[in-house]
Amino acid sequence: MAQESMTVHLKVWRQSGPEDEGEFRTYTQEDVNPDMSFLELLDVINEDLIKSGEDPIEFDSDCREGICGTCGCVVNGQAHGPERGTTVCQLHMRVFRHGETIVVEPWRADGFPVIKDLVVDRTALDRIIAAGGYVSVKTGPKPDANSLKIPKPRADAAFDAAACIGCGACVAACPNASASLFTGAKISHLAMLPQGKAESTRRAKRMVEQMDEEGFGACSNIGECEAACPKEISIDVIARMRREYLKSMFTSH
Amino acid sequence: MIPLSRALESSIGRKFVMSISGIALVLFVIVHLLGNLTLLVPDGGVAFNKYAAAFEDLGPFLYVIEMGLLAVILIHIFWGVTVTLKNRAARKKAYKEGIKTKGGPSNMTLLSANMIFSGIFLGIFIVVHLWHFRVRKVTEAGKIYVEGQEMTNLYGLVVEAFQHPGWVAFYMAAGLVLGFHLRHGFWSAFQSVGAMKPEWSGAINAIGMFIAVLLAIGFLGIPLYLFLM
Amino acid sequence: MSKLDSRVPEGPLQEKWVNRLHEIKLVAPNNKKGISVIVVGTGLAGASAAASLGEMGYKVKAFCIQDSPRRAHSIAAQGGINAAKNYPNDGDSVWRLFYDTIKGGDFRSREANVYRLAQVSNNIIDQAVAQGVPFAREYGGELANRSFGGAQVSRTFYARGQTGQQLLLGAYQALMRQADEGSVEILPRREMLDLVLVDGKARGIIVRNLKTGDLERHEAEAVVLCTGGYGRTYFLSTNAFNSNATAAWRCHRRGAYFANPCYVQIHPTCIPQKGDYQSKLTLMSESLRNDGRVWVPKKKEDAKKDPKDIAESERDYYLERKYPSFGNLVPRDVASRNAKYVCDEGRGVPPTGRAVYLDFADAIDEQGEDTIRDKYGNLFHMYHKITDEDPYKVPMRIYPAVHYTMGGLWVDYELMSNIPGLFVAGEANFSDHGANRLGASALMQGLADGYFVVPYTIGNYLANYDIPEATTEHDAFAAAENEVEEGVKKLLKSDGKRTVIDIYKDLGDVMYDEVGMSRTKEGLAKAREKIVALREEFHAGVKVSGDDGFNKMLEVAGRVADFLELAELMAVDASEREESCGGHFREEYQTDEGEALRDDENFSHVAAWEYNKGGDPVKHKEELVFENVTPSTRSYK
Repeated sequence: MAQESMTVHLKVWRQSGPEDEGEFRTYTQEDVNPDMSFLELLDVINEDLIKSGEDPIEFDSDCREGICGTCGCVVNGQAHGPERGTTVCQLHMRVFRHGETIVVEPWRADGFPVIKDLVVDRTALDRIIAAGGYVSVKTGPKPDANSLKIPKPRADAAFDAAACIGCGACVAACPNASASLFTGAKISHLAMLPQGKAESTRRAKRMVEQMDEEGFGACSNIGECEAACPKEISIDVIARMRREYLKSMFTSH
Repeated sequence: MIPLSRALESSIGRKFVMSISGIALVLFVIVHLLGNLTLLVPDGGVAFNKYAAAFEDLGPFLYVIEMGLLAVILIHIFWGVTVTLKNRAARKKAYKEGIKTKGGPSNMTLLSANMIFSGIFLGIFIVVHLWHFRVRKVTEAGKIYVEGQEMTNLYGLVVEAFQHPGWVAFYMAAGLVLGFHLRHGFWSAFQSVGAMKPEWSGAINAIGMFIAVLLAIGFLGIPLYLFLM
Repeated sequence: MSKLDSRVPEGPLQEKWVNRLHEIKLVAPNNKKGISVIVVGTGLAGASAAASLGEMGYKVKAFCIQDSPRRAHSIAAQGGINAAKNYPNDGDSVWRLFYDTIKGGDFRSREANVYRLAQVSNNIIDQAVAQGVPFAREYGGELANRSFGGAQVSRTFYARGQTGQQLLLGAYQALMRQADEGSVEILPRREMLDLVLVDGKARGIIVRNLKTGDLERHEAEAVVLCTGGYGRTYFLSTNAFNSNATAAWRCHRRGAYFANPCYVQIHPTCIPQKGDYQSKLTLMSESLRNDGRVWVPKKKEDAKKDPKDIAESERDYYLERKYPSFGNLVPRDVASRNAKYVCDEGRGVPPTGRAVYLDFADAIDEQGEDTIRDKYGNLFHMYHKITDEDPYKVPMRIYPAVHYTMGGLWVDYELMSNIPGLFVAGEANFSDHGANRLGASALMQGLADGYFVVPYTIGNYLANYDIPEATTEHDAFAAAENEVEEGVKKLLKSDGKRTVIDIYKDLGDVMYDEVGMSRTKEGLAKAREKIVALREEFHAGVKVSGDDGFNKMLEVAGRVADFLELAELMAVDASEREESCGGHFREEYQTDEGEALRDDENFSHVAAWEYNKGGDPVKHKEELVFENVTPSTRSYK
């Protein structure tokens, strides 16, 4: 547990704005506590940068406990770093070696334009949800919650798909920059529940069309998204999305 | 309803096309290999030539089948290239330091992420192969009498070709590349049409692996056998 | 007379809300299209309010500081949401939920509000299920319930340890549906920096576009503030890195009263701080106290020892010792305060001495490791990941951390602040939790406000009040924008030695030390001095680099400037509330046994503070009237 403090070199992508070409810059940090999270290391480096009047490294983060989906960058070629089932805010320095050079890049995809440094614009994911990622009910009186019985295994399976945090790691890790795991997760969550059944084909059609329109690639079943997903969502959701889409080719909505 | 034209334009529709044409081609290749096994019958090529002649007997139907097959191949290639180009366009600014797999459930390998290259190789192979045996069957193959019937001596053409190490290597390489292409392609075809459940994926993966290995061994084994004979 | 008219309807408690709903004036459907409403914040309250208002036909603009409405910190709530469904048939009812909540709040909340909360709690569950929220279910397909602190019935609905996430995604999806319909415009990466008043009524806001740095004016007939609590005043808390009080505070500066700022909930089971590089603490679910035993060494000298080397007879299970009937399951405030006491005595455990053990060894012996893994597997995993210690083998270390703020902008029964047209919902208002919030009540309140209260009461405002004409060209907008611009420029210009985070950390230390789990008159006076000094240092020169474009530290600087003002108000409020109640514990006011001593005669009121630029804040009182329950002393002995 109590490890020695370590020194690491950070080769970080710096890009002052969307139009800037961008470049790597290297920062060395000594006395790194192995219990630090990766983002806390960035905090520490930023404090020093601010003190010397330089622009800090911009990155998105919020809850710092792996649930809000705000943070994310590619660390040593892997979305959210080397550990599976982990967001970069929950990645600790102890997984790195003393003296290691760590390469940090933003999510790269045409659907996620870079805003600054490691910050990217992921509003495309919101637009995919807006295209149909919901059950169309209004606020107001509803039947009693228990009037609808859903077997536990089905509720659990729907939850597994619903666990998506919308961080975009699936897109970042996919060789095709495909958003299929994200889109498939929402389509599957709602298609598996009776509440979402009624509009499942319309939903699949509209969400897939939006996903394509945003410029994400097609899924070629490589499965790297599942490996990168902090919630370890299975690519089974992509198969289900395709079934729903196939159905929507033959049903009217 | 989604109009077919629009469905085929979608990322999912394109993959449907890849999947269905791919499965059709796998079926063809399996039949092709089974037929080719007659090359191994030690009868001086009689069995193989009879097998080849059976196709000639189909008359004009042969052309219909050949054209159909060609169409499937062209569709598979055309959609494959389009899908790849679109996918590349989805990340115009690539990772400067590359991406690497996180392992676990990932199938990411150089080959699975670059099906287009094994595909291009196979495409080139098909052109060469068609010239080599399909065109030259008409232009160069001699005639032979088997059981009193005149037949094209395709066997002779094949055996002669596989006396040259270069051809043997080329055909063996194609067998190998086909195996790799199917290693990802077969399983992927099922996933692409949504005909996959987590419970099945192990089995389908295993079947895919089995078919890939078998086809690879078959296609690279035959030239090697003929060379060594 | 008083500006503090709570507008609680007449009549029996059970009929107040129903009657009010009948009286409320409706806005004609055709008129709604021409009425715009601004909703700031997209957590449970904001997303549900914006979606519902959009469905009703209003033109809604929804703002959030995050890159997507789905990121609001409601997403991190683990435990669950209460409702009086009585599915387990254990005798629950709306009345019981109401009573538990008002008692849990130590009789410092408004009866009518709390009753309404309990009344609509069931609608929330129905609504969420209809949206496809995947609540936990029994094998028979019915919804599952679990128990939570402060209640003798099982009324908490949950979705694994991610109830907040699933409820928020339900509301977010409803919101995105409205975005698709065109009734709601989503404006992410926007921070509200001022409220615009025309003729004393809320008519719009000034926001900073965090992506570009541009200031924007947005006009609307009403503004709904759903911007969460102010726990980050303490720097370290379980709140998200970007959670802040800026929008609420800027409304306060424009005249909205801030009520009960001293009511802060400090959650007992958080992972202790390890180093000064940390900017936030991680909560471990309260449910762990069902099986874990809390202890520290009896002797100071043993504190540094490996827990293995401390004999059973040398351990002090202080909660079991002091509270034999509730033991480790005492309410949050009691558990937190006692952890502080043993650490103050020098018996806290390494590495910092600000931690106590939460030990599962006995539970593992009795129930087996598999049972414990079934119950808490994901929490143990999370703990292991963060601390690199395996709680199956060594006791967990925990320490209290700021988690929730019960205080907030003052609102009346209709959730409107004292500024007409400014509504406040969710954690941002002060309304329903009194001096202490029970577990699984925050999600309930956020959604009750957003789905079932504000969408109706806002119509009452729009139909009854004379709303002044104004466009974004109005002088009030220009003046407010100028002020904001000046503020931003000032932050960028100053160039001292210490960074925003340096000063912010100092503020956090002061707040934890003096305005934390245990407070004294002297301590609070000292805190006030220190806060003022820090504020002066901050404004004299805090180091902010970068420019007026995308600049996160500039955002944080603006928020810290506001925390430095709010902190002082918290100290003032804590000092003037000369009693102990719920999360507010004054050492001078305790029983012989060291328990909180309420003073109902003098302090059964809401302290609503009015901003007074350059002078002391002005206190307004809203007396709390208990017609249906009799305040009693909470005892957990």
